Amino acid sequence: MLMSRRKQRFFKLLTYAVLLGFSVYCLLPFLWMFVTSIKPTDQIRTLNPSFWVDKPTWKHFDNVLNGSAFLTFFKNSLFVALATTVASLIISIFAGYALSRYVRFKGVKLFSVAMLLSQMIPGVLLLIPLYLVMKNLSLINTYASLILAYTTFTVPLCTFMMKSFFDTIAYEMEESAEIDGCSRIGIIFRILLPVSLPSLVATSLFAFLNAWNEFMFGFVFINDEAHRTLTPGISLFKGLYQTDWGSMMAASVLSVLPIVIIFVFLQRFLIEGMTAGSVKG
Amino acid sequence: MKVNKTLTAVLALLMLATLLAACGSNKENASNASGAPSESAAGSKAPVKEVTLKFWSSLDPSSDQGKMIQQKVKEFDNSHDNIKIDLQVITYDVLHDKLVAAINAGDAPDLSWGLSEWFGEFNKLDALADLTSYVDGWAEKDKIYSNVLEALTVDGKVKALPNYLGIRALLYHENILKDAGISAAPKTWDELLGIAQTVKEKTGKEAFGIAGAGVRSPQELIMYLAQNDVVLAEKQSDGKYKNTWQDNPDQLSKAAEVFQFYQDLLDKKAIKTDARTWGWEEEDQNFVLGQYAMVVNGTWIEGRSSENPEGMKDVKIAAPMYKKTPATFMEIAPLFVYKSSHPAETWEFASFLLGADYQNAVNPSNAPRSDVVNEGWGKEFMELASQGVVFPAVSLGGITKVMEDSLARVMLKKEKPEDVAKWLSQAINDSLSKTGELSGS
Amino acid sequence: MLTLREKKIRRLAIGFIVPALLFFLLLNAFPLVQVLWDSFQFKNLLNNALSGFSGLSNYAEVVKNEYFGTALKNTVVWTVLSVAGEYALGIVSAIALNQQIKGRTFFRGIIIIPWVVPIVIAGMTWTWMLTPDYGILNLWMVKLGILDEPYYWLGELNTALLTVVFVNIWRSFPFFTISLLAALQSVSKDILEAAAIDGAGVRRRFWHIVLPQLKTVSLTMIFIHIIWTAINFDFIWVMTEGGPLHSSETLPIMIYRYAMQEYNFGNASALASMMLGFMISGFILYYYFSVRKNRG
Repeated sequence: MLMSRRKQRFFKLLTYAVLLGFSVYCLLPFLWMFVTSIKPTDQIRTLNPSFWVDKPTWKHFDNVLNGSAFLTFFKNSLFVALATTVASLIISIFAGYALSRYVRFKGVKLFSVAMLLSQMIPGVLLLIPLYLVMKNLSLINTYASLILAYTTFTVPLCTFMMKSFFDTIAYEMEESAEIDGCSRIGIIFRILLPVSLPSLVATSLFAFLNAWNEFMFGFVFINDEAHRTLTPGISLFKGLYQTDWGSMMAASVLSVLPIVIIFVFLQRFLIEGMTAGSVKG
Repeated sequence: MKVNKTLTAVLALLMLATLLAACGSNKENASNASGAPSESAAGSKAPVKEVTLKFWSSLDPSSDQGKMIQQKVKEFDNSHDNIKIDLQVITYDVLHDKLVAAINAGDAPDLSWGLSEWFGEFNKLDALADLTSYVDGWAEKDKIYSNVLEALTVDGKVKALPNYLGIRALLYHENILKDAGISAAPKTWDELLGIAQTVKEKTGKEAFGIAGAGVRSPQELIMYLAQNDVVLAEKQSDGKYKNTWQDNPDQLSKAAEVFQFYQDLLDKKAIKTDARTWGWEEEDQNFVLGQYAMVVNGTWIEGRSSENPEGMKDVKIAAPMYKKTPATFMEIAPLFVYKSSHPAETWEFASFLLGADYQNAVNPSNAPRSDVVNEGWGKEFMELASQGVVFPAVSLGGITKVMEDSLARVMLKKEKPEDVAKWLSQAINDSLSKTGELSGS
Repeated sequence: MLTLREKKIRRLAIGFIVPALLFFLLLNAFPLVQVLWDSFQFKNLLNNALSGFSGLSNYAEVVKNEYFGTALKNTVVWTVLSVAGEYALGIVSAIALNQQIKGRTFFRGIIIIPWVVPIVIAGMTWTWMLTPDYGILNLWMVKLGILDEPYYWLGELNTALLTVVFVNIWRSFPFFTISLLAALQSVSKDILEAAAIDGAGVRRRFWHIVLPQLKTVSLTMIFIHIIWTAINFDFIWVMTEGGPLHSSETLPIMIYRYAMQEYNFGNASALASMMLGFMISGFILYYYFSVRKNRG
């Protein structure tokens, strides 16, 4: 065993305590959102804020699902975010591989510096140039405009993430595969990716959430309700002088929960990738 | 290993499939986009050619008013064969940035809502259509409040239309004042400062509330300045603007008095200490919750009755208190009409939005028309229309920011009112000079 | 001369980065060049009187701004505290979540919640919870005796920025958690066991085996997050708009004001270019020192 029984018990307790603390920190605002979403309107903004709900109501959820275009927004966001994830993952797997294995070439090095630079421009200054680009490509008010923009934003980090994960995988594994006659792309897909499954999940989660949560461009590129995504859609509940807190929170809860549930299913790949990995195979 | 291989294969397939799907739907979009013109081409065979007007509105789709707007616009659309209205809902939070991006790309909508603070800037960006001839030829022109129309006129040209008005009045919780033994709302600044201590002692609550930060703080500041006969920037003989406080000791001391008033409010505990940095949300919410007695605010507070029926039931309306001249801030939310290739149709729709029918249905208590005034809150607010002050028609982005800063200097840094008045005067002129609107430059 | 094999590999390498390069050229290179170009031009959309080459006047104007120093300092504080906090929480939570305990799935689900909540909504919710008169956190703190009376966290000069940092850490640490958790999987159990048999204690194993394995991933994440946090402004804008009196204003907020409120793209671009310069020199310095340290 790695440590004594007593020590083990101590670490287990410590782990639970730490996780409990993190759970409270992470959950508090979300619980507040949820509680708000089931409060009757006259209990929401009061002088005695409380997590206790007197007469819970589903009226706000009803308003969100039946009285607004929430489902359209949700569908749009899902499509845009999935497309972005797939596109940036494919692009960054190859780019990350090149960065990890071929840094000895000048062009590759230059490229990585350029990508790092591109991350340093504040979004505000991208607004007008990107609007112009999209307009010239006649992409304003299409999903494609968002997918293109989000992919551009996520590719650099995804690439660097993939690179750093590939870096931890020994080159010898590839060499033996090469001798077996595997093509380079074959090596990436058959040898490297299965080993780096946890990293793939982490990277795609990042790409997905980035696209899922983006606000500014989602509003600026999109003109109509049929193409609007979730985050801009939810902010419509914020009126000029008055915010419909109940509906806004209900919509937020509805947008957060499915993603968390999907993640709970996905997260087992975060563990299994390496332990069943190809070192033994 | 086997499981992993299959999983990877599935993942890869999934990726490819989604990518293809993405491509497919892009194509679909493209064909839709190219389909639209062909439709209108088909339409052009018919006798009337249909014009599509893009209209960006910040209506609240979940409110009754928002639903009414959508319904009225649809009615207009249905009754006009030649005009189709493409109504889009965009919140105020992002409307400004979206408009700036679109204007820059030459892709502005035909009409949009907006805030009064943007008027000078959009005019300077040369994005707004000249509506003078249309307005002059309009039979109902005299129904619009004349000072409202004047505020939207630059160099004799009407450059925007009023969408709705946000006139400010003094709102007060009658019960809090009663508990303090006060029968009527104060009429002047001194009266307010005089009762502050009584209210605090007898009720434990503050007498007054202000917004010390955010978009509302400059609006309140310009009102207090007007109540003491000072203006932010005056139009000079060369058609440009200038803040003249530093040229005129009398004005400077009057401006300083306004800042002194802010400090007095704090020192006499007429406002909560936190109010130094309240934004409009904190100001409104605390008033609605009955945390303090009085505030200068707009008709929208009435809408809070549904959220806080208890706190709102004793709210009464009076004219804002003043020092020298009765004055209030009048927010004129403009309806921006942009330069476009079909001005006649745009005007037809715009005049519908200004019409009595639409305004009665949508803005019963804050319409820019003198013949649309409902009983209740609207009436008492509209009586103040004639004393309303507005922002000068210059680029305000930099100016409102330094106004906000001046309040922070007075209340957070406790700088001397005279110094702040001087600083603000200089800062306003600097800002005017940057945008080329400073007189004598 | 490159060998034939090297040439083939180089072609392959270039082929691999072409898709990413295309995206970069299409959507990033143009704004990047434009920012650098505009920073030397008079470009105020509201004032056409001045145009053309401006030399360094944009830079001079920006530096002369009364709040430039404050914003620079705030940006450093904001970036350093945020990233340090995120990394600390990230690694602790990743290690905790990597243990064999019951309910691990449940805890993993909870920990990504902050990351999924849209920033605008999260900002509004925190603002509400932290507010003095109707916010639950203030109420609790007063009840528990931590505070004597409600405190306006976002409205006071000395706490506004720190409060937003706190919320920003809340939001971003799960990203570190997930990435570090993924990286922890690649720490070989065999080596750990071997070390344990050799008598290495828990702490020793952590510092000498686990941490070095996380180094590349950690550095990548920290690098990227420094850049992102430095240019990020969503939370600050939603929660304080840089106030009160510029006490939570960072350089991106200033850039936003220059661009979208004053329409002065010359000044905005100059400030953005300067930020670019600061960050690049920071990284060069880091590189220089780490190379020297490795040699020494």
